[in-house]
Amino acid sequence: MKQHRILLFSAMLLGLGACQKGEIPNLNTPVASQIIANGTKEQIDNLAVAMESGTRLTLNTYYDAIGLQGREIYRFSGSEPRYTTELMGTSPLDNNTFYTTNPWASRYRVVRQANTLMDAVNNSSRLSANEKKGYLGYAKTIMAYQLLLALNMQYTNGIRTDVKDANNLGPIKGYPESLTDIANMLNEGLTDLTGAEIVFPVSIVTDVTAAKLMQFNRALAARVAVYRQQWAEALTALNGSNFSLLGDFNSGYVHIFSANSGDVLNPVFLPQNNSGEQRLAHPTYAAQIAPGDDRIAKATLRAAPASLDGLQSNRDVWVHRSNTAPVYIIRNEELILIYAEAKINLNQLPDAIVALNRIRVQHNLTPYAGAVTQAALITEMLNQRRFSLFAEGHRWIDMRRYNRLNQLPNDRPNDKVWDKFPIPLPESN
Amino acid sequence: MHLSKSFTLLVMLLLLSVASFAQQKVSGLVSDASGNPVPGVTVRLQGSNRGAVTDAQGRYSIDAPNGSTLIFSYTGYKTQQTVINGATLNVTIQEDYANLDEVVITGLATSVKRSNLANAVATISAKQLYGVAPAQTFDAALSGKIPGALITANTGAPGGGISVKMRGVTSIFSNSQPLYVVDGVFISNISVPAGLNLITGAATAGNPQNQDNPSSRVADINPDDIENIEILKGASAAAIYGSKAAAGVILITTKKGTNLGRTLVRLRQDLGFAQARKLLGVRQFTEQTAFDRGGATERDLFIAARDAGKLYDYEDEMYGETGLISNTNVSVNGGTERTGVYFSANRKSEEGIVKNSGYLNNAVRINVDHQLNDRISLGLRASYMNTSADRGLTNNDNNSVTYGVSLATIPQYLELHPDANGVYPVNPSAANPLETRDKMRNNETTNRFITGGEIRATLHTNDRTNTKLIVRGGVDFFNLKTEAIFPRTLQFMRGGLEGASIQGNTNNLNTNLAGVLVNYFQPNNDLSFTTSLGATLETNNLDNILSIATNLIPDQSNVDQAASSQLQQFRQKYRDNGIFIQEEVLLMDAITLAAGVRFDRSTNNGDYKRYFVLPKASASWNLAKMDFWGIQSINSFKLRAAYGQAGNVAPYGAKFLALTASNVGGQPGSFVDTQFGNPDIEQERQTELEAGLDVSFFNGRLSLEATYYNKKIFDLLLRRNVPSSSGFTQQWVNGGDLRNKGVEIGIGAIPVNTKNVRWNAQVNFWKNTSEVTKLTIPPFPMGAFGNTLGNFYIEEGKSATQIIGTLGNNKGVGVLGNSEPDFQLSFYNDVTFLTNFSLRVMLHWKKGGDNINLTQYLSDIFATTYDYDDDKNGNGVKDGVDRMNAAAISDASVRVQDASYVRIREIGLYYNIPIPKNNIISAVNVGISANNWFTWTDYDSYDPETSNFGSNTISTATSRGSNGISTGVEVTPFPASKRAMFHLGVTF
Repeated sequence: MKQHRILLFSAMLLGLGACQKGEIPNLNTPVASQIIANGTKEQIDNLAVAMESGTRLTLNTYYDAIGLQGREIYRFSGSEPRYTTELMGTSPLDNNTFYTTNPWASRYRVVRQANTLMDAVNNSSRLSANEKKGYLGYAKTIMAYQLLLALNMQYTNGIRTDVKDANNLGPIKGYPESLTDIANMLNEGLTDLTGAEIVFPVSIVTDVTAAKLMQFNRALAARVAVYRQQWAEALTALNGSNFSLLGDFNSGYVHIFSANSGDVLNPVFLPQNNSGEQRLAHPTYAAQIAPGDDRIAKATLRAAPASLDGLQSNRDVWVHRSNTAPVYIIRNEELILIYAEAKINLNQLPDAIVALNRIRVQHNLTPYAGAVTQAALITEMLNQRRFSLFAEGHRWIDMRRYNRLNQLPNDRPNDKVWDKFPIPLPESN
Repeated sequence: MHLSKSFTLLVMLLLLSVASFAQQKVSGLVSDASGNPVPGVTVRLQGSNRGAVTDAQGRYSIDAPNGSTLIFSYTGYKTQQTVINGATLNVTIQEDYANLDEVVITGLATSVKRSNLANAVATISAKQLYGVAPAQTFDAALSGKIPGALITANTGAPGGGISVKMRGVTSIFSNSQPLYVVDGVFISNISVPAGLNLITGAATAGNPQNQDNPSSRVADINPDDIENIEILKGASAAAIYGSKAAAGVILITTKKGTNLGRTLVRLRQDLGFAQARKLLGVRQFTEQTAFDRGGATERDLFIAARDAGKLYDYEDEMYGETGLISNTNVSVNGGTERTGVYFSANRKSEEGIVKNSGYLNNAVRINVDHQLNDRISLGLRASYMNTSADRGLTNNDNNSVTYGVSLATIPQYLELHPDANGVYPVNPSAANPLETRDKMRNNETTNRFITGGEIRATLHTNDRTNTKLIVRGGVDFFNLKTEAIFPRTLQFMRGGLEGASIQGNTNNLNTNLAGVLVNYFQPNNDLSFTTSLGATLETNNLDNILSIATNLIPDQSNVDQAASSQLQQFRQKYRDNGIFIQEEVLLMDAITLAAGVRFDRSTNNGDYKRYFVLPKASASWNLAKMDFWGIQSINSFKLRAAYGQAGNVAPYGAKFLALTASNVGGQPGSFVDTQFGNPDIEQERQTELEAGLDVSFFNGRLSLEATYYNKKIFDLLLRRNVPSSSGFTQQWVNGGDLRNKGVEIGIGAIPVNTKNVRWNAQVNFWKNTSEVTKLTIPPFPMGAFGNTLGNFYIEEGKSATQIIGTLGNNKGVGVLGNSEPDFQLSFYNDVTFLTNFSLRVMLHWKKGGDNINLTQYLSDIFATTYDYDDDKNGNGVKDGVDRMNAAAISDASVRVQDASYVRIREIGLYYNIPIPKNNIISAVNVGISANNWFTWTDYDSYDPETSNFGSNTISTATSRGSNGISTGVEVTPFPASKRAMFHLGVTF
C-alpha cells in the first residue's frame, strides 16, 4: 500500500505541475499599447508627467558638449578622457559615443513620449475636446523644444522632424528646413492651446493655466525666430510670451528636480571645489568679464586650481547651486536679449540700447557707451548674452549664428572648435 | 495533464504484478590486482535494484539467488560481472586506466558506459576539482578544467564572478552561460547588481550595460561536497535539457553516503594566505618628471614629499595586503545496507588583498539515500549555504570614485593618509582611495537552500525487461541582501548625495519537477533497448527590491535615517515546460544508436503556447569490441557522431513595450522604455553536430579522444540598435546566424607505473573559431566604450568576437584584434611516489585572445603609469607619451593587447602520514598547495583574466544587464589574487 501512495503522490505532483497555465504578464511596468488603446485619464496624465520628466535626462551631456564647444567651460573627469580630447577638437568627434548618441536619444525619447501621449489622448473617450486640446498643445510645444535641442547640436547635419511612425521615420532634413518645421510645430501647439483646458499636472511653471503655456510656447517661438533671422516674427512672438523688459530676469520656465522616488537630481550640478568630476569656467570668462560685473558669481574661485591634460582653471561653474536647483528652459533675461537682438537687426538701435542697458545696469555695470552701430551693438549683445546666459547652452550657438566660431579660443595647439556634431551612427542603420 | 493521467494509469497497472525469488546470503571479498582490499565497491544483483557496498576491509554480503549475476563497479575500476556459485564469491577487479567503464549520464534518467558514449562528455573528479589547490569558490575551481570552454574570472573581488563559454559564444545578447544542475535541481546562476551604479555612474555614459560586476550565484556551492562533474558542452549532448541547454549543461553530483561497514568521519583544515597575483608598481617621479606633469606646483609638491620621506606606493597600500584563509570541513559518511547518509559542514573564511574585503561561506549538507524495498528507492539532498562577500568598489566609473580610477590619478608625492584627527586629505583629481576603502562597505550576503528529492521505482521487472519510474523535484531558494554604504563624510559624498545607503533584497525561487518513465528491454544478449518518456517543468520567481537612501544621518545606514530615498523593484517570472521521448539501442555492447525529441515551450517566448521541437540523434561504434578486431594493443577504437538541437529562450520582457517610472514634481509618470517591444520574439535555436574518435591503447595506459564540432545558432536574439530618432534605442529581434567550429583533443597517459612511482598525465587541447554567418540587421558595435577605445563589432562573415577601433590619423576604423583565443591547452599531472606522496599539477596555456586594456589608458592620462618613463621601443619618446600621442590621433590599437598566458593553475603536494593501526584514526594526510601562483604573460596589467562587465548580470526595468561578448574589457579591476595553503586531513 505504501508504495502505491508514494507513486500516486509522485504522479499527482507531476499533474499539478502540468496544470499551471496562462500567460505571465509584465509584472514590473504598465504596457504602452494598453494605454494607447484605451487609457484612463490617470494613465494619460502619467504619460504627460513622464514627458516633462524625460526632458531632463542627460541634460548634463548636452550642456557639457556645447559648453565645451562654446569655450564656456572645461569638463575634467578622472574616468572620461574625451571631455578634454575629442570634445576640444584634438581628434574628430565620434558618431557612436555618449556625447553624440545620448542627448540625441534622450530628446527623441521625449518626442516618442509626446507622440504616444497624443495617440492616447486622441483615442480617449473620457476627455472633452478642450481638455484634449490642452494635452495636444503642450505635447507639441515640448516636442518642438526637444527637436530644437537636437538641432542645436546637429546644425547643418540636420535632424528628423517627422518621427511619428517608429518603423517608418521621416527624412533627415537640413538646418533651415528643420527650423521651419519646429516653428510650425510651435504654431500648431499655440493653436491647440488657445481655448484649451489644462487638466493635467505641469511642473515647468507653477499654477499652470493655458495662458501660461501659451506664453511658454511663444517664448520658444521667439528663440526659434532669431535663429531663423526673422526679426519681426521674433518681436511678435515676444509679445505673446512672458517677456517683460522691466520684469524679473529669472521669471520663466524651468526643469525642477528632487530626491523623491522616481525623480532625478539636477544632472548639471557639481559641488564647488569638487575633485574628480569638475565643471570649470573657461579662464577667459573671468579674464574678459568687466570689472564689477556681478555675473562673476557664476564662476566662483576654487580653493586650488584644477588642471588636466594641459588645461587649467581656478574657477568652478556655479550656475546651479544644489542638486535640486532648477535648470531654466527659457527665462526673461534671454527674452530681453532676444528683444535687443531683433531690434538691432531691424536697425531700431535706441530700443536695443534700452534693453541692453537694462541688462548692464542690473548686473552692476554702467550704461552702454560704445559706438551706436549695428556691428558694435551686435558684438555688445553677444557679449551680454555670453555673461547673462553663461553655461546655459547659448554661447556656441550664438557665435555660430554670427559666423564667429573662429573667435573662440583654442588653448592647445591641436584644439579646434567644431561647428556641429555628427549624426549618430544608429541613424544610418 | 493528459500525460500525468496516463502516468497514473500505467503506475497502477504495473504495480499489479510483483514477483519474488528464492534468496540466499552471498558474501565475499573484493580486492585489486595487487591483492589489496577495495572499500566502497558497489555490488549489484543484475536485473534488480538490490545492492551492497564493500566495507573498509573490502567485504560485502548480499541476498541473491544462486546462479544469478553480481555486478561489481567502482569509479576508476572496470566493471566486473560474476555468476554466483555458492555462498562465497571473492573477486578481483581491474583498474580502468582510460575510464572506459565510467558511467556517463546521457538523459534525464539514463546513462551509458563511456566506452559506448557517442558524445565528448568531460568529467571532473572531486580530486581534480578541489583536491589539488582549492580555489575560493566553486566557479573559480572550474578554471582551466573544461576542455572546450573559455573560462574567465571577471574580477578578483572576494566571492568571485566568472564567465564560462562552452564551445565559443553561443549567444550575443541572451544567456551565454551554461545551465548548472546539482543532483537534478536546476539552480540559479544569476548575478544581481547591488545598485552601485548610483555611486559610480558607470553605465551612464559610454555604455549602458550594468558594470556593478556582482558575483555569480553558482559560487555559493561548497566544492568540497562535490563527487564529480559532467559537462555537456553543446546541443548534441544536452538537447534533452531543451531550452536551457544552448550554452551547455554542467551536471554536479554531490557525495552520497555508502555502507562501508563503519561510519567515516573526516576532518579537514586548510590554512593559507592570498596575495595579489601581480602589482604593477607606481611611477617613480623625479623633479623633472613632476614638473612635466604639472609645472612648478607639482615639482614643489614632489620636492617637499621627497625631502620629508613621504613618497608613497599607494598601489601597494591598497592592493598589497596579505589575506588569511581558513577552511574547516567536517564530513560524515556512513550507512547501512539500505540507507546511506552523507553529512558535511564547512566554514570558509578568507580575507581579501584589499583591507575590509573578504569572503565567508558557511555550508551544511545532508544527503540521504534509502532503499524502501526491492522496488523503490528514495534520495534526498538538502543543503544550506550562508555566504558573505565584501567586494570593495572597483571597475569603471564616471564619477571618479572607484579604487582603481582614483589610484590612476595619484602620483606618489600626494599625501592621502589621514591626519591625527582622522581627516583624510582630498585627492583633487578623483577620490581618496584610502578613505573610500576605510569608510565604505559593499557586501553581498546570501542565505540559500538547495533541496531536491528523487523517487526511483521499478514498476515491472523480469529477465528480459524492466520499467522504472523516476520522479525528481527540486527547489533552489535564495535571499540575497546587498548593502552598499557610503557615509556622508566621504570626499565624493560631500556637497552631492551627502551619504548613500543602497540596500537590495532579492528573493529567488527556482523549482523544477521531472517525471521519466524508462523501459529497458533486452530481447537477447546482443541487443538492448532503453526507452525514456518524460515531462519536465521549471519555474522561476525573482523579486528584487532596491532601496536607496541619500543624505544620511552621520554613522547611520538604515534607509529611514536619511533625508531622501528612492525605491526600485524588479520582478521576473517564467515557466518552461517540456515533453521528451528518447530511444537508445545497444548492439553487441559495441554499437549504440540513440534518437530523441523534445517539445519545449516557455512563457518568455512571444507565443507562450507554442512548442518548439528539438530533436537529437547519435551513433557510436566501438570497433575493438567486434569479433573481427585483432589488434591486441588497441583495446578500444570508437567512432562516434552526435547531432542535437537546443534552444535559448528570449530574455524576460523582450516582448513588451514597457513604461518605466519617471516622476517629476511629486507626480507619478510612465515613460516609454528605450527598448522597443517585439511581440514576435522567438527562441534562438542551436544545432550541433559532433564527430569524434576515441582510441585506447595498451590496456588503457594511453588513450586519445578527438572531437570535431560544428555548432550553428539560428535566429540569434539580437538587441538591435534602432535609429534613436524613433525614440527607442534598441529592439529585440531574431536577426542572424552564428557558427562555432572547433576541435578538442585529449590525450591521457600513464607513462610510469611502477611500485614506487605512478605518473598519470592528461593533456587537453582545444580550439574554437566563430563566425557570424548571417546578419539581417546592419553590422553593429557593442560591448565596450566606442571605437576610439576599441569595441566589439558584430558583422556578417566575421568572427563574433572581433575587436575593431579607430586606426588613427583619420584612417578610419579597422580590425584590431579578437578576444577568442587561438587555442587553449591544459596539462594535468598526478604523480604518486614512495607510496604516500602525491604531487598534482595543473598547467593552463591560453594562446592568443585580446583584451581591451583601459586601466593603462586611465593611468597614462594622469601620467602615473608605472612604465610611463620607460622607452621599450627605443624611439626616444617615453612610452607613456607614446601612448598618449596615439590617443591624440585616435589610434585605438594601443588599447587592444594580447592576453595570452601560461599559468600553473594549481599545484599541490600531499603526504599520507603512515600511522600505526588503531581503532580511532584511520588516516592522516597533510599537504601544501598553491593556486594561480605562477603566471607568465605579456599582458600589461594585473591579470589577463578580467571583465568589467561581468557575465550574466540581470536586466531590470531600470538597468541593462551584461551580455556574452564583453569579456576581456578591463577598467581598473579588483586585482586577481593567488593563494598558498597548508592542508591537514584526518579520517576517523
